[in-house]
Amino acid sequence: MCQWTAALVAGWVVAGAAAADDVATLLKAADRYRTGQDNLQVETQVNVLNRDGSPDKERRYTVFVQAQRKSLVLMRSPAEQGQKVLMLGDDFWLLMPGSQRPLRITPSQKLLGDASTGDIATMSWSDDYTGAVVGEEQCGDAACVHLSLQAARKGVSYQRIELWIGKARNEPIRAELYVQSDKLAKQARFVFDKPSAPTMVTEMVLQDQLSNHKETRVRYLARQAKVVPEAWLNPMFLARNPALE
Amino acid sequence: MRLALGARAVLVLAGFAAGGVVAADAPSSSALVQQTEREASADLRLRWDARSLNDAGPLAAANRWLSGIAPATPSALVAEAELRGVWRAPNLPFMRSSVVGNGLLWAERPAGSAARSQGRINELYAAGDFGAWQASAGKKVVGWDVGFGFRPNDVVQQEARRTLLAVTPEGRALVELEHYGVETAGSLVWVNPQHARTASDDQRGALETAVATRLYRRDGSADWHAFGRWGAHTAGSLGAALAWVATDDLELHASVRALQRHDGWQLEPQPGTALVTNNPWHQVTLGHAAQALLGASWTGRHQQSLLIEAWHDGTALADRDWDAWLARNRALGAFGAQSGLPAGLLIATSGNLAWQATPFTATNLRRDNLFMRMAWQPDRWTLSLDGLFTPSDRGHVLTAAAQWQGERLRLNAAWRVYGGPSDALFAQLPQRSVGLLAAAWPF
Repeated sequence: MCQWTAALVAGWVVAGAAAADDVATLLKAADRYRTGQDNLQVETQVNVLNRDGSPDKERRYTVFVQAQRKSLVLMRSPAEQGQKVLMLGDDFWLLMPGSQRPLRITPSQKLLGDASTGDIATMSWSDDYTGAVVGEEQCGDAACVHLSLQAARKGVSYQRIELWIGKARNEPIRAELYVQSDKLAKQARFVFDKPSAPTMVTEMVLQDQLSNHKETRVRYLARQAKVVPEAWLNPMFLARNPALE
Repeated sequence: MRLALGARAVLVLAGFAAGGVVAADAPSSSALVQQTEREASADLRLRWDARSLNDAGPLAAANRWLSGIAPATPSALVAEAELRGVWRAPNLPFMRSSVVGNGLLWAERPAGSAARSQGRINELYAAGDFGAWQASAGKKVVGWDVGFGFRPNDVVQQEARRTLLAVTPEGRALVELEHYGVETAGSLVWVNPQHARTASDDQRGALETAVATRLYRRDGSADWHAFGRWGAHTAGSLGAALAWVATDDLELHASVRALQRHDGWQLEPQPGTALVTNNPWHQVTLGHAAQALLGASWTGRHQQSLLIEAWHDGTALADRDWDAWLARNRALGAFGAQSGLPAGLLIATSGNLAWQATPFTATNLRRDNLFMRMAWQPDRWTLSLDGLFTPSDRGHVLTAAAQWQGERLRLNAAWRVYGGPSDALFAQLPQRSVGLLAAAWPF
């Protein structure tokens, strides 16, 4: 009897580990459509649309996504010119152009806005989430895999993500993003460069479900490999308002 | 000197602006040289500064007896152009260098007066980037510390806090050497070197020649800072500060500083209630003091935030000094109110009362202060309400502000009211309330 129990437990543990490995592999594959590499510079344009589809805001950002969950967001639009957000793992700072005090911001502050800083600066799931395969489903005409992801660390923008990825190529198709209270905050869908043979996500469309129900389109205008100097990831250096080009 | 220098430097900045937002010159033939770059930007602002005079306090009493003896600052319409420019020299293998400038031009029309225009250089410095090491020299804004309402360790810039409209302050002349690591930073600053041979009375407060240092270390969710300053006449001070994200919604910060000596207001010679012929208030070097601040900032899920700070400023006048100040005001008031007082004595009494407003220029009037600020950011709006309270005399300063941010245009409105019981210092300031309407257009 004990031997049977041990064998069952061992089998369950091995199966669980294998499933986790599968999810990690699937997430890494999905991430490649958003980033492509560890260190890069992404030029991003965010358009916010009102409920009736009329344009509300347009914002431009330069995002430096670096290995080890480090990101730097430079705000380029006249309305936000000179502002920066630095994200080092679970620690965040807001830097205002008129102030030399780097403001420590809480994970809640990172969520503020139609496209939160987390939406713009975080471009990978595999480092931040673990989860399970819920099953295979139909996404329009294509077969897809439904993953249920839980945050693996504090400080991530969303506590739970329901993610649907293509079965054949593992490209992200759509996602439901849930905040700490497990309320659905946003729905996301992904637009690709070549719909028939996708290689890169060119746009992420976010539909707010929590407050204003606006639509936010995050367009990735250009990506290029870029390793930034170490000092650029130091909040005190950024507080000096240096030229970052 | 400031204006002369200002005019020249503003022309340089205007030249940058005329060059466009980014203009890259043709690469030089030198293999070492990559390219030179210029960047320029500007803010145009139009604002109305509204001020309503207080009918209580020493200045009001002085003006009642002798109208115009100490006129308070009137309301004014102000047009400003803030011009910013960066010129980067060609890169060398071991360094990058640049010249950074920020100039302000403004024209002002005070109520009841003719218009006047002025200019000043906020920043103009040369900077060298040697990788982890950075060096700069010139006029520059260097701001330190972690508080919002008060920054004890802002020992270089000593910036005015809680202004109705955030604008670039006028920098200090300095030489700075900095080092940046992955999680550490260090700065060494020699500020106001031009005042090294100046008498103490001509280099008070932020104008004092001093050497200051800041060391920074990031430790996960906490930012640690250590500060040191050695002033030409105030000698040494040591400080420390911490900013810590305690939970997903809560940030805590604290700052402390111990000073060997400090500059402060002193009434000398002690006139008691007697009339004097010169302003008895002087900035002098006083003994040791301590400053400390504790703060917490909470952010809600619906774009709302709450900031609470409490601080002690041992460099502010003590309660007993303000008691003596109040007693002198009352004595002067009673003396001036006597019927049949000769005109000469009435003028002298008014002058003595007006001088009693001198210590109002201190950073903090009372030593113990409590500050609260609530803000809400629905979409393009930022709405805030804040209050500064002095428990020892139950004085208060209440401010309501609104900001609307368009794609380019930014509009600000703010209204600040000073008050409290009649003996409270905030109830005796020259102004009862101040307001602001401003429009800013960046390009």
